[in-house]
Amino acid sequence: MSFSLAQILLFIVAYLTGLFTVAYLADRGIIPERITRHPATYVLSLGVFAGAMATNGALELAYSYGYSFLLYYGGVVFMFIFAALLLLPLLRLCRVYQLASLADVLTFRFRSPRIGAIITIAMCLTLLPLLALQIQAVADSIQIMAGDAGNLFAQENRQDGLALLFCIIITVFSMLFGTRHNSAQERNTGLVTAIAFESLVKLAAMFVLLLAAVYGVFGGFDGVEQWLHQNPQLGNTLNHSLHDNTARTLLVLFFAGAVCMPHIFHMAFAENTDSRDLRTATWGLPLYLMLLSLPILPLTWAGIKLGHQLPIDYSGLALGLEMHSTAVSAAAFVAGLSAASATIIITTLALANMCLNHLILPSRLSQIDPERNIYAQLKWLRRTLIGTLIVAGYMFFIALNGTQSLTQLGLVAFSGTLQFLPGVIATPYWPGANRKGLMAGLATGLTFWFFSMLLPLASNFALPIPDLLGDGNTHWSDAILISLSLNTGMFILVSLLTSTSADERIAAEICSMDDTSRPVRRVLSVRTASEFSAQLSKALGEKTARVEVNRALAELQFSPDEARPYALRRLRARVRANLSGLLGPAVAHSIIERCIPFQQGIQDSTEDIHLIERKLDRVQTKFTGLTADLDNLRRHYRETLHNLPIGVCSIGDDGEILLWNRSMEKITGIAPRDVIGSLLGSLPLPWYQIIGDFQQGDSHSQLKTEVVGNGPPCWISLHKTIAGTDTEVRPTDTVILVEDITELELLEKELLHNERLASIGRLAAGVAHEIGNPVTGIACLAQNLEYESDPQEIRFTAVDILKQTERINRIVESLVNFSHAGSRSGEVNLEPCNLADCVDESIHLLGLDRKARPVEFRNQCDRELVVLADSQRLLQVFVNLLGNARDACDSDGQVDILAKCRGGDVVIDIQDNGCGIPPDMQAHVFEPFVTTKDPGAGTGLGLSLVFSILDDMGGSVSLSSPLFEGPHPGTRVTVQLPRSSYGDAFEA
Amino acid sequence: MYINRALLLAVGVFIIFSPAVEEWIFHSTTVWYRPYQLWLLLVAAAYWNQRSRYPDEL
Repeated sequence: MSFSLAQILLFIVAYLTGLFTVAYLADRGIIPERITRHPATYVLSLGVFAGAMATNGALELAYSYGYSFLLYYGGVVFMFIFAALLLLPLLRLCRVYQLASLADVLTFRFRSPRIGAIITIAMCLTLLPLLALQIQAVADSIQIMAGDAGNLFAQENRQDGLALLFCIIITVFSMLFGTRHNSAQERNTGLVTAIAFESLVKLAAMFVLLLAAVYGVFGGFDGVEQWLHQNPQLGNTLNHSLHDNTARTLLVLFFAGAVCMPHIFHMAFAENTDSRDLRTATWGLPLYLMLLSLPILPLTWAGIKLGHQLPIDYSGLALGLEMHSTAVSAAAFVAGLSAASATIIITTLALANMCLNHLILPSRLSQIDPERNIYAQLKWLRRTLIGTLIVAGYMFFIALNGTQSLTQLGLVAFSGTLQFLPGVIATPYWPGANRKGLMAGLATGLTFWFFSMLLPLASNFALPIPDLLGDGNTHWSDAILISLSLNTGMFILVSLLTSTSADERIAAEICSMDDTSRPVRRVLSVRTASEFSAQLSKALGEKTARVEVNRALAELQFSPDEARPYALRRLRARVRANLSGLLGPAVAHSIIERCIPFQQGIQDSTEDIHLIERKLDRVQTKFTGLTADLDNLRRHYRETLHNLPIGVCSIGDDGEILLWNRSMEKITGIAPRDVIGSLLGSLPLPWYQIIGDFQQGDSHSQLKTEVVGNGPPCWISLHKTIAGTDTEVRPTDTVILVEDITELELLEKELLHNERLASIGRLAAGVAHEIGNPVTGIACLAQNLEYESDPQEIRFTAVDILKQTERINRIVESLVNFSHAGSRSGEVNLEPCNLADCVDESIHLLGLDRKARPVEFRNQCDRELVVLADSQRLLQVFVNLLGNARDACDSDGQVDILAKCRGGDVVIDIQDNGCGIPPDMQAHVFEPFVTTKDPGAGTGLGLSLVFSILDDMGGSVSLSSPLFEGPHPGTRVTVQLPRSSYGDAFEA
Repeated sequence: MYINRALLLAVGVFIIFSPAVEEWIFHSTTVWYRPYQLWLLLVAAAYWNQRSRYPDEL
């Protein structure tokens, strides 16, 4: 039974049209998202790993190496079951930094565009055999289907034209569905769904072959068992082959393939949108591969039993021919076709992205016209590369003449990509590795691989390989082990012997941490998001720059007028990651460093606390043990800090606000989310001025600062400290404590007023008596006036009345002045005051209190001394101090008021010979409600108010006691006030 | 790099017991599909291991 070429061509076209249709329907959303986005679709798309090697080559592996063929699947199975070892760390890196290929990852880790270029070139070279393998599987299948199996390797009869047609259709498919998105990191839904569909087709076809082999050849599973018992040598081959050292080599080879092969990498990372899908793949892909591998042994044994002349790889097709079954032949052909097409499509797509990002763009970026649509230019470049790569694979296939078995081609390709494994493992696990080591290792390993594996494929050249394994017939296994050992040895040796750049160390730290970014607070050269577009337009053109910045802003949910340094740093990182997906990490790094650099000369070792907190908050559920305890401790302290009843804010050296707790929000009315990460200058007035001035000032505390804003006035006290101990090395943060003392201040003012009223009350009787005397005098003079006719006497009497009236006026005026002091909403009106006059006025007021002890006040102040004070408040100070002095004295007590200049201040001593103040009381007398008087004799507020008033006026007060020995130790209260004058004109 | 302790334990157990498991699988008198039984067991273990994961943890 055979098929005509037209039938085969029709079959291929029909199958690939079906593939196009699935991709188209998925892209258009006609296939619902619950299917295209289902984790099963992602898992099935990873079945791309099972190329023609799985459907055809595995048969030869099973034939030659028994159960060792399982290692082809086992390597991938172990890689996915232990995904947390390599796959998850790589997925984190790829997702955060928009890395889409192994070259991207290693370029990012080793910070060298050259690494990317070398890996891309090496990857293209190592994958030529893999592409040739796929094309050869299809070409050979066509040959067999066309009934020309006998001349399979005869060049003149090969149907390479149909293989070329197959390549062309595949190229068109890759171009149409693999380049729909600009970024390599965006999911190509149509492509993923089509590859998943191919995996299903492949599995179904293999199961058809399994049933055909078991029931068609052996008559059932019992027949298989019986046949195996009749052929015990097969059982021995199965078991003993796995004990060979080649099995270990195969395991390493295919384990590495799961992460180093670009098509697996692309599907696993670039097309992944949710880490949960990868979690599903940890059991889903092993299950799929197990099902796919089930038919291999029965099919191989069926091939052996049938004794056909075809290579064992094509036992499926041989089975169809022997059974004269179109369905079985078609199933065998479709299995190979679907496996080969999926591998070619994804491999060339992944390689095209690598070539674009690491070969074309770094060298020819300047040739891309930023004024034209940059996305369209990139898309066409990618399409051209896909076409070129498929043509290269086809040319390699033609060059080989079909002389190599599928297994040979597969082993060469896998052993080539194995050379990248040391770099991949070092990425998350060895921060000490550097680019020189990687390049040395790769150069050594790949050179050995080239001469020992690749070159012998296409020529008669054969590198003499020592027989390491001692079996004499596994040349490839020895070559693989030697190349990998040389590679790893050189990598380690050179990395240890050479220095690592600072850039590499940072990247190594990023890659080796669980968290994928190293939050460092650095100052950007641009100040707003709009400046980003302007700067980026130099490299990307105005339109593309705007699109990219807006996209990053939307992803981060920032507004277009964003100006917070913290937000701008995140924006820079996001734009860079997005550009990395579009242009590759090397070009993205170059553009960002050029257009949006950090400011030079500013120390940058301060960590971005806010970003660290955000990241820790997101991953906290993963912590266990001591890490979880530390995280709980961090949360506890943070909550304590946030809930403190006192405002706490932390400001970086560059003026960025790092911490703003809830009390700060309550005091200022500014929410933490609005201000954290912003510059201090963005705070509204008056807070910017108050906090900024205090931060810049030398003083470590600022008591009682009045805040005048739009709302009611409030009072705060500020304290600050410098965070960090190594201030000479690192920039430091300033921690500012803001205490809301508004209530205390209002209470104090109320108490002041009450105290004043109490004083007025105490003075009232004296005032009445004092006013009574002149009133009596005026009454007498008025009576005399009634009878007086002498104008001269009348005039004298009038003058006397006026004198008495003036005396009353003075008394009333003193009282009014005293009662008004401090009542003008707390405003302190500093002006030059004559000290002696003020003391006189106070003595006069105190003299109005007739019930008080008659002590002698001696004002010895220089009449010329002028202080800077609020006269009415100063009056209150002296009334309180002199009143206290009087109360402390006996009836024959004396109170001396002395004043002298000291520097720019005037020092006033009020000294009495009273009972003194006990030493244990002296430290507390300026506190409210502390008194040495008998209960009911004083409120305990006098000295507290004196302290408060003097503090407002920039003065101070202190006391000392005792002054003398004996029963009257006395007390000296010292007041210090700034000296002043009435001005030059007045002095003159 | 933080590695889950359970994962390290699993790798350790795998290395230690692999010769014994290999012996059990490839005993000459056993059925040909015995490796697949172990494979299925691994799939079940992997399924059990991933089922209690958190939402997209990246």
